[in-house]
Amino acid sequence: MTGRAGRVAVTVVLAGAVSACGTVSERRDEVRDAAVAFEKAVAAGAYGRMCTALAPGTVEELEQSAGSPCAKALSEESLASGGAVRVVDVYGNQARAVLATDTLFLSRFAAGWKVVAAGCSPRPEQPYQCRVKGG
Amino acid sequence: MTQHSSRTTPPEHRGLRGFVRDNGLGLFFTVTFLLALAGQAIAGHADFNNQLVADQLRPISLAEYLTSSDFAVDVAENWQSEYLQFFLFIGVTVWLVQRGSPESKELHKGGTESDKQQLVGKYAKEGAPAWARVGGWRRAVYSHSLLLVMGAIFLLSWLVQSITGVAAYNEQQLRQLQAPISWSQYLGAADFWNRTLQNWQSELLAVASMAVLSIYLRQRGSPESKPVGSAHGATGVEG
Repeated sequence: MTGRAGRVAVTVVLAGAVSACGTVSERRDEVRDAAVAFEKAVAAGAYGRMCTALAPGTVEELEQSAGSPCAKALSEESLASGGAVRVVDVYGNQARAVLATDTLFLSRFAAGWKVVAAGCSPRPEQPYQCRVKGG
Repeated sequence: MTQHSSRTTPPEHRGLRGFVRDNGLGLFFTVTFLLALAGQAIAGHADFNNQLVADQLRPISLAEYLTSSDFAVDVAENWQSEYLQFFLFIGVTVWLVQRGSPESKELHKGGTESDKQQLVGKYAKEGAPAWARVGGWRRAVYSHSLLLVMGAIFLLSWLVQSITGVAAYNEQQLRQLQAPISWSQYLGAADFWNRTLQNWQSELLAVASMAVLSIYLRQRGSPESKPVGSAHGATGVEG
């Protein structure tokens, strides 16, 4: 490979990586936006919008364990709005949004960031305990 | 290219063939390294996606995987241990010897040896590197350049392992609904030391095996072995 071809290849790979994944701050903003949208739906009791914001695996688990469609299952969970976003952590395609009174876990899908788990409380040395989560 | 050699072989053939023949060892290991790295990338990508699918998460493309912390830490953790192995091997064999091993110097030669033995300064011969001829810091640096570069690559790879390792670890933590940790916390984490030490132990075992087995066993024609007929007690002899 010539020097010029090598530089072009490196540029293409880097450009592909950046455009595919976005910068860390861009992804953090995307996660924040997704968390805020979910919390607005929770505050409004808009269960349909909440279902749209959930990850496919989480919807499946929710419907299976409740034995009812997603919106109805969510209405029975009575999730409370978590307030403002305090901290966002993003690693690869996984993220955590710490809110004033709640914590969300999110994952990036083709349609954008989706909520994998909500209504989560920390437990020492163990995974968060979440009211809504995937399987 | 000398007149003699250009007469014996056609120039366009001689150049490539001559280069390959003269650099076979470096070329072989560079090509096999690239093939193995490509294989690791493909297998690692498939393994990573298997985990994502099992967690009902979106699989990623090969391009995404190649720029991921998961791939980077798997590469870096092996690199650091390999360079540590050579760093230690180069450094320790200055002082420590092994009776009967072709990997060792002769038993009485422990240490950095005299200028005469090392062919530096006024003892430098024709064709000696320029920094071996001169004195001062340049000779001091050049006298340890192999160790310094191996050590620097080791430290750099280990640093990269720690940085990409904490990112990969935190991604895993988030997938398991657990809180991420900081880089400084990761330096004391079991994951970091497990990745580090499992590589170190295998490298150290390989060197110990080579140093000891080569006392009694032979490979005819290899410079890493003593000549087949050498006595087991002969030290510092290469075939």
